[in-house]
Amino acid sequence: MVSEYNIVITGVGGQGILTAANLLGWAALHAGYKVRVGEVHGMSQRFGSVIAYVRFGEDVYGAMVPEGKADVILAFEPVEALRYINYLKEGGLVIANSNPIPPVQVSMGLATYPSMEEIKKIIEEDFKGKLITLDAEKLALEAGNVITTNVVLIGALTQTPGFPLSAEHVKEVIRLSVPKKAVDVNMKAFELGVKAAKELLGL
Amino acid sequence: MAKVTDIVLWDKPGEKVLLLGNHAIARGALEANIAVFAAYPGTPSSELTDTMAAVAEKAGVYMEYSTNEKVAFETALSAAWSGLRAMTAMKHVGLNVAADSFMTVSYMGVEGGFVIMVADDPSMWSSQNEQDTRIFAKFAQVPVLEPSSPHEAKEMTKYAFELSEKFKQMVILRTTTRISHARGDVVLGELPEEIKLGKRKFGKFEKNPERFVDIPAFQRKKHSWVLETIEKMREELAECPFNWIEGKEDAKVGIIAPGLAYSYVKEALTWLGVDDVKVLKLGTPFPVPYRLLEKFFDGLERVLIVEELEPVVEEQVKVWAFDNGIRIPIHGKDYVPRVLEMTTRRAVTAIAKFLGLETPVDFESVDERYKKVSAIVPPRPPSLCPACPHRNTFYAIRKAAGSRAIFPSDIGCYTLGVLPPLKTVDTTIAMGGSIGVAHGLDVALNGVPGEKETNEKKRIIVATIGDSTFFHTGLPALANAIYNRSNVVIVVMDNLVTAMTGDQPNPGTGDTPHGPGKRILIEDVAKALGADFVEVVDPYDIKATYEVMKKAIETEGVSVVVARRVCALHHIGQMRRKGEKWPIYTVNEEKCTGCKICINAYGCPAIYWDAEKKKAKINPLMCWGCGGCAQVCPFGAFEVMKEGE
Ligand code: SF4
Ligand code: SF4
Repeated sequence: MVSEYNIVITGVGGQGILTAANLLGWAALHAGYKVRVGEVHGMSQRFGSVIAYVRFGEDVYGAMVPEGKADVILAFEPVEALRYINYLKEGGLVIANSNPIPPVQVSMGLATYPSMEEIKKIIEEDFKGKLITLDAEKLALEAGNVITTNVVLIGALTQTPGFPLSAEHVKEVIRLSVPKKAVDVNMKAFELGVKAAKELLGL
Repeated sequence: MAKVTDIVLWDKPGEKVLLLGNHAIARGALEANIAVFAAYPGTPSSELTDTMAAVAEKAGVYMEYSTNEKVAFETALSAAWSGLRAMTAMKHVGLNVAADSFMTVSYMGVEGGFVIMVADDPSMWSSQNEQDTRIFAKFAQVPVLEPSSPHEAKEMTKYAFELSEKFKQMVILRTTTRISHARGDVVLGELPEEIKLGKRKFGKFEKNPERFVDIPAFQRKKHSWVLETIEKMREELAECPFNWIEGKEDAKVGIIAPGLAYSYVKEALTWLGVDDVKVLKLGTPFPVPYRLLEKFFDGLERVLIVEELEPVVEEQVKVWAFDNGIRIPIHGKDYVPRVLEMTTRRAVTAIAKFLGLETPVDFESVDERYKKVSAIVPPRPPSLCPACPHRNTFYAIRKAAGSRAIFPSDIGCYTLGVLPPLKTVDTTIAMGGSIGVAHGLDVALNGVPGEKETNEKKRIIVATIGDSTFFHTGLPALANAIYNRSNVVIVVMDNLVTAMTGDQPNPGTGDTPHGPGKRILIEDVAKALGADFVEVVDPYDIKATYEVMKKAIETEGVSVVVARRVCALHHIGQMRRKGEKWPIYTVNEEKCTGCKICINAYGCPAIYWDAEKKKAKINPLMCWGCGGCAQVCPFGAFEVMKEGE
């Protein structure tokens, strides 16, 4: 039993972030932990930047991860990892989907999208974190449906060193949660995420 | 992970489940044997309402989506006057709408338990202000309960009904976004037989004009009843199971933490490794039970009050301390910010400063390093969805009215029309405010018929308002504008659903949680009220919409245009569930000249700019196939590529 484990999930509204947070919350609850999941609802979801928090352990109270306390940031979109990097603890891990979604402001030429090198540099040098990126969308399509992108990322998350829940356990919770006809696709997506993360982390 | 609506009805006492605070409150209301629930949806309260709608039939509860909070309040109140347990839910600004009835009803009290759930939104995640409902409670002299976790929210809901019945006064259950929209472990309790059987409960109304008629002669006698009752409750609440003192008994320093702030304080103390403090956990920020304060203050040399937003507890504690000759330092808002939401960081920082400690994380250094990040991260505000009909409506309005026109708007997804490139929202205040502001601008800038003088340089005024908002508080404003002979265009953006709060029905859709209600057509209402021009358009036909807007602008008087097309998010969600497909568009690179009209004037989020090729592109995963881009591109560069999903 850990006393506290903190996950920050970020991305763009509509990417399945709240579903991912809820799934992880249930997995932690089934493992016997005290759980808090913090989410954003309402207009803020409409293709805007979204952040959700999943915390579990024996001493969790508030629904938000404090700055500098996230063990992992799971980013569904690369620049969103950077937007919330202040939550990462020193030595924490960032798992990012590598598919950028440029905001309208960028298309209109009112802002620029930073390069992957810039993103990596800030995460690793300024915030002393580790970054791994994977093309989760491609893996989801490979599994059979792009909608499973979030499950690919959850699969990858379970490979984080020190992650307190077993991959099998999380997978089982997902299996029981998704509609019957979607079970196979989701299980495949999960495995592809696990495999990709293992390679990237050199496990 | 079962469906929430199933969990909320589970007959499994003792089972531990993960529920959103709002879902937990719904469960609490069912455990309390609620009979009637009425509400207008408002983030962050909506999931409570939606859950009640989903389980109402099975649980034998009458549930309605009312047209606004005042009406909802009155519906639920009448049930409580008839001896039933009843509840209404709203967001903080919703209470402003219900305030007229609310303030008076505190003089009359209730028979059955009446609980008003009010969800505050500190930091304004989806609201226009961050008012503190506890002040409203104090204003009306009704008690307010404030949970510190989702589980406590459920338990408190039950308690609130009991308290309300015991003192015959309504009770506010106040949450904030971080309770309403936080999931936590909740232990299910017993469901009453009537709920399990789905038996609808009916009440009995006993006439008593002296109590239920608010003429001054009756009401004068009752103001003192209100004040006596709240003092009796203050006494009783010293035994309230949601108030307690914990920590070191002989500590010299004390911390008072109401509601959710208690969670942050607990976390901060663990994090700081501090244990020689006494904590007063308060579930009832108004009225603060003085008897508990007596016990708590015993032996203390300094006290800190950690509360979110306004110093509601702080003021009561300070007044009590002064009256009782207690002269130790009592801190609060001098250490804890009064604006924006509480966070663990804020609690840690305040407590560390109060105790003269270092914070365990050097937040300032995090901020310093983050500065660089915020400089290079592009903003990503929410935007109208791909295929959103509102985008087309705004686009047509702007083209027809020109950028010199003024565009008052309202509260809903369409408020996002303020952002570039559409920029067709100039003012918003509150639900229904657009029409009132439009009329006021016409009076101020143009002058109305019948007046001796009118302004030569008239401005065009085009107001936008959603379907649900139109019924919420748009109606009286429309009557006013027509009656006073305004010259404005009012565009009702009817997407056939209350989209922003999660697709609830409204009179314009005609659906109710209990089956079909009677549908009210906006155009019929506008005609019946006497609007000078009324027309319905499909915003997916941009040209036709533009033509109608032109005509509406040219017509003297109040023009009402109903732009009707179902919300894209709602529609795509339904198609997905049914496994249906929709067309996906693509850019024909040969035809695309790189003029950027689709990006700089229209702005569908599925369209982005390929800087290398200098052409527009479509993200196929985001295109919902409305064909709007094909209509705005002067070079015909957008084509259907294939079916999606
Ligand atoms: S939810 Fe509906 S109304 Fe709101 S922006 Fe999306 S498509 Fe438009
Ligand atoms: S058809 Fe064009 S305007 Fe409509 S959603 Fe797709 S890209 Fe956007």
